[in-house]
Amino acid sequence: MKKIESAEESRKLLDKITFDLTRSIVKKDEMTRFWFFILIMFIGVGLWGWIIQIDKGLGVTGMRDYVSWGMYIANFVFFVAVSLIGFLLSSALHLLKIDWAKPVSRVAEQVAIAGVALAGLIIVMDMGRPDRFLNVFLHGRFASPIIWDVTVVTTYLVISVLLFYLPLIPDLALLRDRMGSEVPKWKMKIYTILALGWNGNAKQYKTVYHAMRILMLLIIPVGLSIHTVTSWLFAATLRSGWDTTILGPYFVAGAFVAGSAAVIILMYAYRIRYGLKDYFEDIHFDQMGKLLVFVSLVYLYFNINEFLVPGYKMKSAEGVHLTNLFSGSFSSMFWIVQIVGLVLPIILLLCKYFRKPLPIAIISVFVLVSAWFKRYLIVIPTMEHPFLPVQNVPENFQTYSPTSIEIMITLFSFFAALMIISVLAKLFPVITIWEYAEEKGIDKKYLSETPKN
Amino acid sequence: MNKKLNILIVAILFLSAQHVFGQEWTVPADKENVTNPSEYNLANVKKGKDIYQLNCKSCHGDAGKNNALPLVPVPPDVVSEKMQANTEGGLFYKITAGKGGMPQFETTLSEDDRWRLVNYIMNYNSKNEPVLVDAPPVKAKLLASVNEADKIVEIFAEYENKGEFVKLSGAPIIISAKKAFGNIELGKVLSDENGRAEFAIPENVIGDEEGFVNIVVALEENFEVVPVILDKAKVGKLKEVPKLIRGGEILWSTNENIQPWLLLTYLGAVGAAWLAIGYVVFQILKIRRYSKE
Repeated sequence: MKKIESAEESRKLLDKITFDLTRSIVKKDEMTRFWFFILIMFIGVGLWGWIIQIDKGLGVTGMRDYVSWGMYIANFVFFVAVSLIGFLLSSALHLLKIDWAKPVSRVAEQVAIAGVALAGLIIVMDMGRPDRFLNVFLHGRFASPIIWDVTVVTTYLVISVLLFYLPLIPDLALLRDRMGSEVPKWKMKIYTILALGWNGNAKQYKTVYHAMRILMLLIIPVGLSIHTVTSWLFAATLRSGWDTTILGPYFVAGAFVAGSAAVIILMYAYRIRYGLKDYFEDIHFDQMGKLLVFVSLVYLYFNINEFLVPGYKMKSAEGVHLTNLFSGSFSSMFWIVQIVGLVLPIILLLCKYFRKPLPIAIISVFVLVSAWFKRYLIVIPTMEHPFLPVQNVPENFQTYSPTSIEIMITLFSFFAALMIISVLAKLFPVITIWEYAEEKGIDKKYLSETPKN
Repeated sequence: MNKKLNILIVAILFLSAQHVFGQEWTVPADKENVTNPSEYNLANVKKGKDIYQLNCKSCHGDAGKNNALPLVPVPPDVVSEKMQANTEGGLFYKITAGKGGMPQFETTLSEDDRWRLVNYIMNYNSKNEPVLVDAPPVKAKLLASVNEADKIVEIFAEYENKGEFVKLSGAPIIISAKKAFGNIELGKVLSDENGRAEFAIPENVIGDEEGFVNIVVALEENFEVVPVILDKAKVGKLKEVPKLIRGGEILWSTNENIQPWLLLTYLGAVGAAWLAIGYVVFQILKIRRYSKE
């Protein structure tokens, strides 16, 4: 790493970096207002749907006796999956000292916080009596994977928030010192309180590094277990399609695919919207593309295991499930998801051209949408083939299709997640300024200077 | 191709309908006038009724109630003219041979039983004096107690005769065990000339986890009687309790018998994670303290 010796040059560069990276906070135009209007509108509609559901009960959903896990649970698995990228990018790659991942890590943490927060909320929305939610903690069975899942989701949320906050502290001090009239007073107040009186002395930096290191180590087992335990919710049953030992790593691998795609999309949005071409550079997209190919290949490997081995044997119940996926009523969704969401992205992203920002962002959208439908395929077809005989029940008990209320609430979750991300982006810089400045060779001492003008 | 198939289907349907509707069921002349070897009396008619209830009722319905199954052709009621137009030999032939929807009973009922069945049908024939009469039910009283040591149920039965209760002799008494989904009959016993009867509980009756059986003592349907229910008679075998569910060797269990290693793993992992989180929070507080230096 080259060191910039001249104080003048350092200050000039730091000013430029700060100016660029705080543009997301300062920028206020019609577009911002319109975006928040859209978000609030959809969130409002979704909440209205939830009020109807609480009022009328879960009968307003398409879930019945046999398919008792519907779109909500598929959506829950999706959000848990997406949130897992925080652990890969901001911890695992950080600990491996992979430098290109540093500017991306805060984006990954934003995705992680939004994902895991919504995952928790969706579970509450899936409950017929959300007022009894506390009973899960008061009367839970320690032997139940549901308790493990609730525990691990909560823990992961706390760790993600801390891992977002810790590297933010020096930035908050920077904002407190440098942002004057440009931002409203309440924002300055937030920065001042959250900066904890940071003045950039050596002991403080040492503590931040130390605490971050602990969190990064801690988030690895917690992150792995959050999605492994989520997979155990399924794998601990005897149902065909879920009753498999590889479901844990299968879920984790799939989570990295979905999360990487989400991060790429967000990086592209920030790059265009906040003019961060020099920060989310082509090389970052290129590397993220390579990462996406790698995790997709791992996921493809698990997919082959997951479908080829039982497909070779076609045990009776498993055979019904697999036939339904391969050539039955779910076959078009299944093959589109596998090809558009997995095989094609791998092939395309092997070419350098498709790892350029725009192409990879478009590919990532397809990957992310496919990832959502993939969760739908994991949850619903298996529920439709219980080992019990489906008899003497109304016809709409036998199959599942989501109702408009369910779609409204699911849309709520997407927009609520975007809302969390948007608020975080409007409040805090999307790239860690002090880390980035240090990377560019600016000495720490200039960071805590208050500019004279 | 489709047209041909349609013609074929119509032809098959037409032919099979011919088969069902078109022909009268004629009995060969030599079978028509065979005489009934079994005597027309109450015992045979009663036996015939029992056989009818088991083998015929499901299609032909109850005598005189016209509640046969809606098949094509409709199985005639026992009382109906169509049924009674048959000779005894003709009935025997039709029961024996069967036709179309009517199964043959040559291999499932003995010859004697088939003739008894004919006797039951002839009970409703105008030529005969009916022996099976539906008398109004007689009021009766039952007393019963259980001897747990010998596994015997002792019964005393009375019936109302001209306003007085007198001993009921020679009446079948039904002993059943009360189960979750109705009663299961354990056996029948006839009362003696003193109106008393003893019933030995079979060895293989299964009770609850402690061997308790709820015994029901009742009379046949032509008596109006309140059944005696002997609750919690310790006369049955112990119900076997599946070990796996009550034992401690399964993972998915209640908090009362959770496996210690599972609880310790859970609490250990959660405790360690939150201790580390607590430590980090403590570090954040330290940052605040250092700012004063």
